[in-house]
Amino acid sequence: MKRPTRLSAGEKLVLTANRLLDGQIVWRDAFGQWLPQIRHAETYDAESAELALENAKHNAQRDGVVGVYEVAVQDGSAIEPVSVRERIRAHGPTVHPQFATEA
Amino acid sequence: MNAPVGHYQYDQIDRNFLQSRIEEFESQVQRRIDGTLTEDEFKPLRLMNGLYLQLHAYMLRIAIPYGILDSRQMRKLSDIAHRYDRDYGHFTTRQNIQFNWIRLEDTPAILRELADVDMHAIQTSGNCIRNVTSDEFAGAAADELVDPRVHAEILRQWSTLHPEFTFLPRKFKIAISGSPNDRVAARFHDIGILARPGVDGTVFRIFVGGGMGRTPIIGQEIFDAVPEDRLLATLEAIVRVYNAHGRRDNIYKARIKILVQAIGIEAYREAVEAELALMNPDHYRLTPETVAAIRARFAVPELVAPDNASEVLAQQRIADREFDLWVRSNTHEHRASGHIIAVVSMKPAGGIPGDATSVQMKRLADLADVHSFGELRITHLQNVVLGHVRQDRLHDLWLSLREVGLASANVGLIGDIVACPGLDYCALANSRSIPIAQKLGARFGNADLQAEIGALSINISGCINACGHHHAGNIGLLGVDKRGEEFFQITLGGRADQGAAIGSILGPALPEDDTVDAIARIVDCYLGKRTAGETFLDTLSRLGDVPFKDAAYEAV
Repeated sequence: MKRPTRLSAGEKLVLTANRLLDGQIVWRDAFGQWLPQIRHAETYDAESAELALENAKHNAQRDGVVGVYEVAVQDGSAIEPVSVRERIRAHGPTVHPQFATEA
Repeated sequence: MNAPVGHYQYDQIDRNFLQSRIEEFESQVQRRIDGTLTEDEFKPLRLMNGLYLQLHAYMLRIAIPYGILDSRQMRKLSDIAHRYDRDYGHFTTRQNIQFNWIRLEDTPAILRELADVDMHAIQTSGNCIRNVTSDEFAGAAADELVDPRVHAEILRQWSTLHPEFTFLPRKFKIAISGSPNDRVAARFHDIGILARPGVDGTVFRIFVGGGMGRTPIIGQEIFDAVPEDRLLATLEAIVRVYNAHGRRDNIYKARIKILVQAIGIEAYREAVEAELALMNPDHYRLTPETVAAIRARFAVPELVAPDNASEVLAQQRIADREFDLWVRSNTHEHRASGHIIAVVSMKPAGGIPGDATSVQMKRLADLADVHSFGELRITHLQNVVLGHVRQDRLHDLWLSLREVGLASANVGLIGDIVACPGLDYCALANSRSIPIAQKLGARFGNADLQAEIGALSINISGCINACGHHHAGNIGLLGVDKRGEEFFQITLGGRADQGAAIGSILGPALPEDDTVDAIARIVDCYLGKRTAGETFLDTLSRLGDVPFKDAAYEAV
C-alpha cells in the first residue's frame, strides 16, 4: 500500500487495517484498539504516525488485523479521509446503502 | 445423479482431489489464524483458492467452467449467498461468480459446500491458466459449427493444476467458441480458439496475444487449422514459449501479448513449432477415444417440441407487445425446431450489472429445471442463459421472470451494460463503475427507447485493468482518478466479435454526471445522423468520431 508522501494543511494521518477473521475494515484508536468506526481513530502527524505504524504492524497478528497502513484524513469536526477510496472504506459501498458502516 | 446437461460430470477421482485440497486449505487457514503463517506467506495460498482480500472484506471467486451450471449448483450458490454472504452474488465478465462479504474462517466450510455440488474456486486467481470461457449459446445456437463444450472441458482438465503452468509470468486466459459469430471475444484473450469442422474432423483456428488492460491488443492468428489430435500439444507449446520468455521483471509487461508484440507473430510461431518438434507427440495426442470419453460425461437433452410450438409463440408475441419486445432482444435462434435460447438480463434499469439475489438465483434454478433441462449458462456479459426453451413455453418463462424482476428487454441494447465492481468493492480500482452504470441504465431504461436505439454496448471499467472490458465496448468508459476525484474517459468504436476493434479515446475525461449527459448526446447524435438500418457502429464508421466528439463536449 502506498503511503502518503506529504500532508496538506489541515490533514492528519490515521491507521487502518482489515480484521483477519472477517476482513472488516477497522481503525486504530488512541488505546491501540481496532474499531470499525473511523470516528474513533487516533490522528497523527506524519512523524508520530511512523512510530505508531511500526508498532501497529508489529502487533498485527496479536491484534487480529492484517494489512496495516496510514490514511490521510481531514482533521475537522469529523475525521474524513481525503481520498474517495478511503471514504468508501470508511463508510461502506455507495451502491448498497444497507451495508453502510454504522456511524 | 444422471450426468448433467451442458457440463462434465465429476468422477470419484475429481471429488477425492477436491476433498484433499479443501483439507489442505483448511489447515492453511488455521495456521494463518494462529499466526504460524504470516500474511505474506498465506496470501499466495489463499489466492490459489480464489480468496482475495478486497476493500471491505474477503471476496471468494468461484469458477464456473465454460460458464455452465446445473440447477443444483445454482441453488448451492443461492444458499451460500444467503448463509455466508449478504444475500447476493455478482456474476463476472469471466463467467464466474464472486461473493463480496466472505469471512476467512468460513471459507473451508464454503468450499466443502461447493465440493458437494462439484464446484471449487481453484485457479480463479494467480498467475496460472484461469477459468476457460466459452460461448454462452454452445450446443444450442443455430449458427454453431462445432459444440465447443467438450473441448472446453478438455482444456479445463489439461490446465487444472498443470505442474508447469502454476507460476506463469502472469495470469493466462483462454476462450473457445465453435461459431463463426464470435461471442467469446476470442481475439481479446491470451489464447482464443475457434473450432470448425475440417475434412478429417474438428480443426481449431488459434489466436494468441490478445488482451485488454493497460495495453489493449487484438490477438493474432498463429495457426489456422490445428487438427484435434494436436490441440493439446499446440497449446502446451504456446504456453511453454510464453513461460520461458515472458517477462517477469515488470508486471505491466508480463502478459503474453507483450511478448508476441516484442518478437512478432512469425517469430512466436517459429518458437512454438521448434518446441513442438522437441515434444513427444504421443504423450500429448488427443485421441478420439479420449474425446469420446469426455463427451460421454455430458448428457444430451431430448429436444422434443410440439409441431405447433413456433406458431404458439408467434401468436403470443402478437397478443402481448411487451413480451414481443423481450423476445426480439433476449432470445437467439436454436438449432432444434420448436426451441429457442432465452437470455435473462441481469441488468434491470438502475440496477447493478451482474448482481443476483439469493432469491433470484434460486428462482433461476427452478426455471432451469422447468424450461431448460436444469441447465444455466453465465455469460461474459454478466447475464444468464437458459439454452433449450420450448417456444410454446417461452411466454410462461417470461411471466415467471417478471415476478422476480428479471424480464428486462435489453440484451444487446444500451441497457445491457457491462461493469466491473469498481471502487465500491475492488482494491485495485480508481473509480466506481456501478453508480454510473446505474445512472445510464436508468437514463435509457425504457424498453421502447432501447429498441429504437438498437444494438449498442456500453462497457465500464473502474481502472486500467479493464475488467469491465471498456476497450471492447461500442461506448467504453474508463474511470480515472484526477486529484482524488472520479472522472471517466470515453472511448468509441470498440467491439469484441469477429471484427474485433479497440475503442478510440474521444477526448478529455469528464466527471460522472457530465459523462452520463455526454453519452446521451452521443446517442442523440447517432439517432439524428443514422441512415436506415445503420447500427451505432455503422454510423460511427461512416462519419468518424468528429460529430460524436462535438456532441459529447458541446456543453463542457
